[in-house]
Amino acid sequence: MSIVEAILNGLMVGGLYGLFGLGLALAFGIMRVVNIAHGEFIVLAAYLGVSLLTLTPLPLPLVVICVAMAAFALGWLLQATILNRVLGPNPIPGMVITMGLSIMLRNALVKIYGSNIRSIEVGALQDRGLSFFGMSIGVLPLLIFSAAIVLFVATNFLLTRTTIGRAFRAAADDFEILETLGFDRRKIYSAAMGLAVTLSALAGLLLAMRSSFSPFSGAERLLIAFEVVIIGGLGSLRGCFLGGLFLGVVQVVALRLNPNAGPLFGHLAFFVVLLVKQMNFSFRPAWRRA
Amino acid sequence: MSLLTVENLDVFYNDLQATFGVTLHVDEGETIAVIGANGAGKSTLLRAIIGLTPTGRGSIRFAGEDITHQRCNIVARRGIALVPEGRRLFHSLTVEENLLMGMARARPGPWTLPAVYDLFPAMRDLRHAPASDISGGQQQMVAIARALLTNPRLLLCDELSLGLAPKVINEIYACFADIRGSGISIVLVEQDTMRARNSSNRIYCLLKGRVTLERPAADVTLEEIKHAYFGDHGS
Repeated sequence: MSIVEAILNGLMVGGLYGLFGLGLALAFGIMRVVNIAHGEFIVLAAYLGVSLLTLTPLPLPLVVICVAMAAFALGWLLQATILNRVLGPNPIPGMVITMGLSIMLRNALVKIYGSNIRSIEVGALQDRGLSFFGMSIGVLPLLIFSAAIVLFVATNFLLTRTTIGRAFRAAADDFEILETLGFDRRKIYSAAMGLAVTLSALAGLLLAMRSSFSPFSGAERLLIAFEVVIIGGLGSLRGCFLGGLFLGVVQVVALRLNPNAGPLFGHLAFFVVLLVKQMNFSFRPAWRRA
Repeated sequence: MSLLTVENLDVFYNDLQATFGVTLHVDEGETIAVIGANGAGKSTLLRAIIGLTPTGRGSIRFAGEDITHQRCNIVARRGIALVPEGRRLFHSLTVEENLLMGMARARPGPWTLPAVYDLFPAMRDLRHAPASDISGGQQQMVAIARALLTNPRLLLCDELSLGLAPKVINEIYACFADIRGSGISIVLVEQDTMRARNSSNRIYCLLKGRVTLERPAADVTLEEIKHAYFGDHGS
């Protein structure tokens, strides 16, 4: 039974992992930006959440909305003021810029918050659990998993049912033709980066409710995000979600079997997937319907 | 007054000059054809007009306004649309989603979703198919419809017949009567000289980036076209 329980718990973590991948996948899929600061955005949102909860009387739902809006503004500004200047076939300038940004953010967080471990307190919810068939599932992980599913469904709705979402996908396919139809590519990209950072920020808040974090947590999240996106196949929402579930299940089951393994087996599984795929994933992905 | 006036246009790709002092005009309601061999600068000319390729020297005026150095999306909103070479549909979108992209920033005008479905009835049954799954001829129809839905005053068509069967090409060219009927001016870039002559009011021929012929389509002779198309060596 304990393996089944581990798989269930793995799925719960996996939903969040999928969400880590989603922001990265959107930024890469739509404007070919490899956002190295992705992990730091996740952690930054977590710290922002902690600050708002401790310094202001705002309840958690309002804090989530505030952080999401701030994240959208940050993503928009980053794309509009900096990344839109380095558009082109060469991905290196964007990588260098976001890498520099990640270093600055990490150190700013250490300066402001110190390097102690933090987390978001969710009160009694923390310890509540559901028991069935002799297994127990935490209520909080289940809620976080549900939130991840809701965000994936909402993103899918946005991409397939709204003009701006279709413009995101069209820009990924052929931005020149999109311009000939009267769209300003730069504005589309700014909105897309706003969305990508918003999703990363929401993932960061969920992470902060589930586990503790420090200013140095970003690199590990970035790694998970990369693994999720590559396992799931670039440019597919469903692939991103399934990639997250796969990685989550492997990690939790492996931890159950060998409690000292840490994230080792997740990375090993990723390595195996790479070998199987023989690196022949498409590097110019289409943003397919999920 | 001319709807579009191009004067002494020089366009460069990096250090390579693609057009040399090209001058042409399109009157309101007129269809012109631009013919010429591969690499003559036809597609470059269209790209420069809509603003996808920056203009080096010269000027482009549209509907009385200077659009020489305008961004592509601004030019598009002013009323120029492009049916690009190779169709270039958004391949991860469905047929109808491609059309919706044409409508999203459209000017007011006669071309609506029902209107383009009436123009190409075959498209209505395919509207939920992925754009990558339909035949080349059907893709060309979607590309034309997508451009029409922006309700342009000037439609630039690049090599509509490229890679298509003659029967399909006839079907596609049949729609131009309706398009002209809605008051749209057209620039046809064509390799097929006969078809270009039959479907236009005037013909321009480009040779190595220069205009070598400008004639009313009704007056032009094969000998003239041959001379303009190949230069002195061809005759």
